[in-house]
Amino acid sequence: MANEEVSMSERGDGASDGFEPEITVFTCIYCAYMAVDTAGALRIKYPANIKLVKLPCTGKTDVRYLLEAFEQGADGVCVVGCPIGNCHHVDGNKRGLARVTYTKKLLDEIGVGGDRLEMYFVSGGMGMTFASAVREMTERVGELGPSPLRRLGD
Amino acid sequence: MKQDVRNDSIVGAVMVVGGGIAGIQTSLDLAEAGYKVYLVENKSAIGGHMAQLDKTFPTNDCAMCIVSPKLVDCGRHRNIELLVDSDVMGVRGEAGDFTVRVRTRPRYIDLDKCTGCGDCADVCPVVIPGLFDEGLAVRRAAYKLYPQAVPNAYAIEKLGIAPCRDACPAGQRAQGYIALIREGRYDDALRVIKEDNPFPGICGRICNHRCEDACNRGKLDDPVNIRALKRFVTDKVYAQPRVPPEPVERKYEERVAIIGAGPCGLSAAQDLCMLGYETTVFEALPVAGGMLRVGVPEYRLPSSIVDREVQDIVGKGVELRLNTTVDNLDDVFDEGFDAVLIAVGAHEGIRLPIPGADLGGVLINTTFLRDVRLGDPPELGERVTVIGAGDVAMDVARTAVRLGADVHVYYRRTREEATADVEEMHHAEEEGVVFHWQVTPVEVVGNGDGRMRGLTCVRTEQGLPDETGRRRPVPIPDSEHFVPCDNVIFSVGQRAGLAFIPESAGVGVTRRQTIAINPNTLAATRPGVFAAGDATTGTAFVIEAVASGHRAAESIHRYLRGEELEPAPKPELPVVELTQAEIEQRVELGEVQVQPRVPMEAVPAAERISSFEEVMAGYTDEQAQAEAARCLACGICSECLSCVYTCQADAIEHNVVERIQDIDAGAVVLAPGYEAYQAEQAAEYGWGRYPNVVTALQLERLLSASGPTHGHVQRPSDGQVPKKIAFLQCVGSRDQTHDYCSAVCCMYATKEAIMAIEHEPNTEVHVFMMDMRAFSKGYYEYYRRAQERYGIQYTRCRISYVREDPRTRNLILRYVSDPFSHSSGEVVEEEFDLVVLSVGMEISEEVRELGRRLGVELDEHGFCRTLAFEPLQTSRQGIFAVGPFREPKDIPESVVEASGAAAAAGGILSPARWTCTEEAVYPPERDIAEEEPRIGVFVCHCGSNIGGFLDVPAVATYASRLPGVVHAEHNLYTCSQDSIQHITERTRELGLNRVVVASCTPLTHEPLFQDSVRQAGLNPGMFQMANIRNQCSWVHSDNWEAATGKAKDLVHMAVAKALRLEPLHKTEVPVQKAVLVIGGGVAGMTAALNLADQGFPIHLVERAQRLGGNLRNVRALVDVRSGAEASVTSESQGVLASAERDFTVSRFESDKPETGLVWRDPQEFLLHLVERVTAHPGITVHLQSEFLESSGFAGSFTSRLRGPDGESEIRHGATIVATGGVEYRGPEYGYGTDSRILTQQEFESWLAEEDDVPDSVVMILCVGPAERFCSRICCTTAIKNTLALKRLNPQAQITVIYRDIRTYGFKERLYNEARRQGVLFVQYDFDRKPEVRVSDTDVSDLSSGEPESHLEVTVWEPSLRQELVLKPDLLVLSMPVVPPEGAGELATRLKVPVDLDGFFLEAHVKLRPVDFSSDGVFMAGMAHYPKFLDETIVQAQAAAARAMTIVGKDVLEVGGIVAQVDAEKCVACLTCVRVCPYDVPQVRAEFNGIGGIVGAAYIEPAQCHGCGICVSECPAKAIQLLHYRDAQVEAEVEALLERVDLEPIGEI
Repeated sequence: MANEEVSMSERGDGASDGFEPEITVFTCIYCAYMAVDTAGALRIKYPANIKLVKLPCTGKTDVRYLLEAFEQGADGVCVVGCPIGNCHHVDGNKRGLARVTYTKKLLDEIGVGGDRLEMYFVSGGMGMTFASAVREMTERVGELGPSPLRRLGD
Repeated sequence: MKQDVRNDSIVGAVMVVGGGIAGIQTSLDLAEAGYKVYLVENKSAIGGHMAQLDKTFPTNDCAMCIVSPKLVDCGRHRNIELLVDSDVMGVRGEAGDFTVRVRTRPRYIDLDKCTGCGDCADVCPVVIPGLFDEGLAVRRAAYKLYPQAVPNAYAIEKLGIAPCRDACPAGQRAQGYIALIREGRYDDALRVIKEDNPFPGICGRICNHRCEDACNRGKLDDPVNIRALKRFVTDKVYAQPRVPPEPVERKYEERVAIIGAGPCGLSAAQDLCMLGYETTVFEALPVAGGMLRVGVPEYRLPSSIVDREVQDIVGKGVELRLNTTVDNLDDVFDEGFDAVLIAVGAHEGIRLPIPGADLGGVLINTTFLRDVRLGDPPELGERVTVIGAGDVAMDVARTAVRLGADVHVYYRRTREEATADVEEMHHAEEEGVVFHWQVTPVEVVGNGDGRMRGLTCVRTEQGLPDETGRRRPVPIPDSEHFVPCDNVIFSVGQRAGLAFIPESAGVGVTRRQTIAINPNTLAATRPGVFAAGDATTGTAFVIEAVASGHRAAESIHRYLRGEELEPAPKPELPVVELTQAEIEQRVELGEVQVQPRVPMEAVPAAERISSFEEVMAGYTDEQAQAEAARCLACGICSECLSCVYTCQADAIEHNVVERIQDIDAGAVVLAPGYEAYQAEQAAEYGWGRYPNVVTALQLERLLSASGPTHGHVQRPSDGQVPKKIAFLQCVGSRDQTHDYCSAVCCMYATKEAIMAIEHEPNTEVHVFMMDMRAFSKGYYEYYRRAQERYGIQYTRCRISYVREDPRTRNLILRYVSDPFSHSSGEVVEEEFDLVVLSVGMEISEEVRELGRRLGVELDEHGFCRTLAFEPLQTSRQGIFAVGPFREPKDIPESVVEASGAAAAAGGILSPARWTCTEEAVYPPERDIAEEEPRIGVFVCHCGSNIGGFLDVPAVATYASRLPGVVHAEHNLYTCSQDSIQHITERTRELGLNRVVVASCTPLTHEPLFQDSVRQAGLNPGMFQMANIRNQCSWVHSDNWEAATGKAKDLVHMAVAKALRLEPLHKTEVPVQKAVLVIGGGVAGMTAALNLADQGFPIHLVERAQRLGGNLRNVRALVDVRSGAEASVTSESQGVLASAERDFTVSRFESDKPETGLVWRDPQEFLLHLVERVTAHPGITVHLQSEFLESSGFAGSFTSRLRGPDGESEIRHGATIVATGGVEYRGPEYGYGTDSRILTQQEFESWLAEEDDVPDSVVMILCVGPAERFCSRICCTTAIKNTLALKRLNPQAQITVIYRDIRTYGFKERLYNEARRQGVLFVQYDFDRKPEVRVSDTDVSDLSSGEPESHLEVTVWEPSLRQELVLKPDLLVLSMPVVPPEGAGELATRLKVPVDLDGFFLEAHVKLRPVDFSSDGVFMAGMAHYPKFLDETIVQAQAAAARAMTIVGKDVLEVGGIVAQVDAEKCVACLTCVRVCPYDVPQVRAEFNGIGGIVGAAYIEPAQCHGCGICVSECPAKAIQLLHYRDAQVEAEVEALLERVDLEPIGEI
């Protein structure tokens, strides 16, 4: 198992072309944060460029935060919340999803690309799912290359 | 058992016995619910076995990480009093009003003073095997049980007095200085000796060493050469330049005179001088030292040693007057002395009263020796005769040899009766002395001119014993003969010279010419006069003189202080006598090797007779340390007092004694836990003989980051990393002496195997087991992962013995390979690097003794018996048992029981809630509004959990350079009690106004740290955490640089947010006392009743038309009554039996008593329960009702229900979900196509109701979804039904086709019984499932119902290795329990999570097993997972106890992280009102919005859930969520992505 994780994480790191995408993850403090903890407890490896910002609920996701992350140099952004139907604040995750969907359009419009933003839903025990999700995101963004905003900044 | 308790006498306190996780959880629940808790733990810290564990299954959480916050909570809780080092001795009284007698053993370190710094352990020289590390590492006698121990204090382990010390008249701490010598700490060793004896150099040479005679080591080989070690120390230290002692300051006015500067007088003088008296010693001779200086020859005791040690005494301030004879005692008093000690010794030799004894040439021993020592030796002739064979005679003879004489010793008794030291006689003979035994002189023959020329002697023979017990020498008639010689030296005894004491002095003298004294006080007959040493006892040894001098000094001190002269009796510690068996065991365990004493060199006889040079050479360093290492450290603590001199906190107190106290408590909860099976009892596995056979607990310690190998698994024999590991299951379980399953070993072995592979990825692990008992939530998945992801091999084979290859120390196992694999069924021999014994659970003798003392009924294995329908109630009302003490079980079940016991105790004590408790006190909150941010950052190593995978010091250094940070540091365990306190202290000292901890997850640890900043006067909102363990070290363990970099980023983010933190204020809201219970089965009803009995209104909601739930389908319960413990009287044994008589199943009543089966009828129980619930005035039952939705928060919920009469709304403080489970009914194996194919539940009803009893039955286990998860109860239910059928039809043929039989705990007994009764068990594999056919027709085509059709089950039998075809009357399928219809929908309405199988998901599998992650909502029963009735009842009680922690309070603090409206920006657009999931915002007219328009939104802080949805939706940005303000979140995002390159400024 460990070997498998390592190889995936190496791929995820985009080591081939030296580009390590910077990914900012917004999580709620319930299922999503617990899943991240579980991933840790189970020692499920994922790329180190995944960095978390805690929100009380993904319903608190603000379009501003998402854009701010790109503006500050993130190559990709994830929002991770409780599974649909299990939101601790009823349907905060749906509201979060709506904002993510909206922001994806904005990103497309301004040329950053909506694919750089994604929302995932995991329950507290799904450490493995969380790890796969962020690995997938790393791969996707790795293929997209550095964010145009970041290239501008550099 | 009916609880009749009088309300007026109820004590609102509970005694919890056992500080493991169960005891801790009970204590926390009780304390939170309003009871005072006394938590009694017999070790020096709480934590139990869980603290020893590395990880916990199935989440692989670090055991310490998850238990640590609970330990700390327990240690800090104001209403929990920890009584560590304590045992319960007995309980008086009755439920509600017990008096518990508790004995607290001395810890020798004051808990209130100890800071946990560890200095005492650093200097402690005693090394013993560390039991916390299962003997794999050593620890000191001064120790802390483990790094995170609570209380965070050291303890000293002292068994008693070592026999060496006990045997020594002066009480020398030989074990202490020996241990210090072994460590090479010679100055300390000499200090220890001098504590009790000012003459170590002297005693190191001439002491008669009674210590060595008493030494336990003598039982093994030779006693430790204690005297030589003592001498060695003085040789070492005296070879260094002498450091003169500091003179002692005078404290008292009184003056003391001491007559005689021998060892007794000088010892007393030193003591009195040290006490602060002016002390003067009078000595008649020109030298001090008494007999030591003038009686013992130079070759045995160099004068330089005596002079040195006398000088050390004089240097302290003792006045020594040499050449000063005291002629008259009165003169001394006249000079102004207030007390006099006569210690003149026995310097007068005795001349035998025979004719010619005064002739010239006749000498006396003492005079002769003194003259030689003072440089004036007498002229000796050629031939010298010495009369006597004591030690002095040897000195005389050997001195005469050195003066050139031919020396003959004559003694009237035999050699064996000679009192001289054997070694001395041997040396004398080596030097040419000739001994003549059984010869005595009768006359000294003169030559006529007054000089002797010889002796007339007679031979003697042994007569009758005299008063000394020795046989009297009787002269043989006619044996007279002449012995020519030039000198005779009498050496037949000495006595005191008492001429200076005239009769008028008032000092009495005995007939034996000794001074008459009171032996207790040493006071002579004249007040102020004391006497000690040889002058009072006759001749004795130097160490006795020293001891006597000490006692005299104490007595004189008491006399001068006007105290009672008789000393107060001192508490006596036991003498540690090791038995032969104990010593042999230590040899077997390899702790001790047989090794004779290290010999000491002597100068050859030929050389030494020509001089007075010292004979014995003394030890070298190497020899001394080797000899010291032979000490067995009998007392453990040696009282070397190194710790006393080192401890800065003055916390060490060696003289404390045990304390017994009586404590009032209304109930007692017994949680004493288990002990692991003693692996050495299973000799066939070689534990203790083969170093590479370890127990599972030892492996836990090897795996643990804080263990002896820092988490590197190493073979004990050579430290190599094992490449192949075998686990042997069921060691001490499921065998001839254990008729039970220990329930945890399968899973812990799997966990340890996984962890071993995680540590060393290429490790091969092979587990040998009987069945895989993965029966709980997530366990089966874990087991599957172990096989699939980690390649762990499991073979069903019980290994019968282990062999060792003595060359490689590898271990060889023989087994039959798995019949379901390719290499099916061959005998294989395989070699392993390490063998792990999965030891089972037993109840220790101490715990059995506890049970006996408390009068609770135990079974033959020591497990506590409890009632079937009140599973925690022991045979004594008000005393409850939880955890493995009841039955082997793992952590979550122990935690559930712990909470359950809190509810059970609460059921008795509720009238006295909050009567014995205290309120929390925090210092007033500091106003920091005007302060600049001052941030403190604490970075945690988490042992090596973080520090092992990223650069913690670098993270701290980085943090220290961040804006606003004024302090950064790193700690080994930031959550340990000392670190928590440390944070509080640093916050105070440095004036920090924000604190950041970078450690683990805030989900478990944030409240802990918030409390510590609160203790420093900071608002808890000023705290921030960075989770660098779960998010960095654990998941990026393969990349040090990246993990370190990310940790820095996360800390940077936390600091950036900390800069912008603001205080969060909470509001108190009243608690709704009602509790909503969803589900009217046993779980719901039990929880409802418990809470209602405690006075809380209950709404019990049941979907169905009547209460009862799943239990309605259970027709009989059975267990096997084990034997009773020997001590259980028939009278007390009856208590449980009579309490349960009501529930006997009539249908099975006639079961033969020899089967031990006890059948019970749950329907009777259910009937009682339903009646009680229905009749209870506090319970509102809502039948045919459904829960619709809930709003509000813990302490104040509003829920809507829909019943037959429409919708209703209730308000409640907590919710308990107990919606149960149902038996799965699927099409597998033809179910539903033939009436002869039944489920277990259907079969159970059949057995209960039908008269048509089948003759042959086949059961198939693990059907349908049970292939995916273990439904826990099916194996036992199936076996129960086989036993029921056998009862009704003993001839019935029953075949159980199973995957693994998971009869955990005592359910194993049912499995044994079923096999005993001939039930056939056939194993199958999911890859090779049994096949079911009906007759020759297709299963699906049975509508025609051929009368001759029969069932046919084909299964491959692995041991026969062939297909079996069975044609049973009935086929019974064990269908698993699955969540009932609508459970997922309910979860959504409750906003709580479910797991993959649809069962409700608890907040934490191990430690919060009945809590949901949402506050105020709890679960019980099969809604959580399939479980048995007793487990359901306990879990329901647990849920009640957890609910109590909320509804038991009058107010709850709410608020904190809530949304606030800035009315001046509000346009009253109602967006917030619309989006809030809790309908909290309101637009109120009393507020003015933007531009002063009337009406603005208002959010009630007590109701706000802090989700922030309104904030994000508000188009005017008029709402901010506290703690998550936009500015705060954006600062985090910015900091996270900001590339900060701060040059390190060096390590901090």
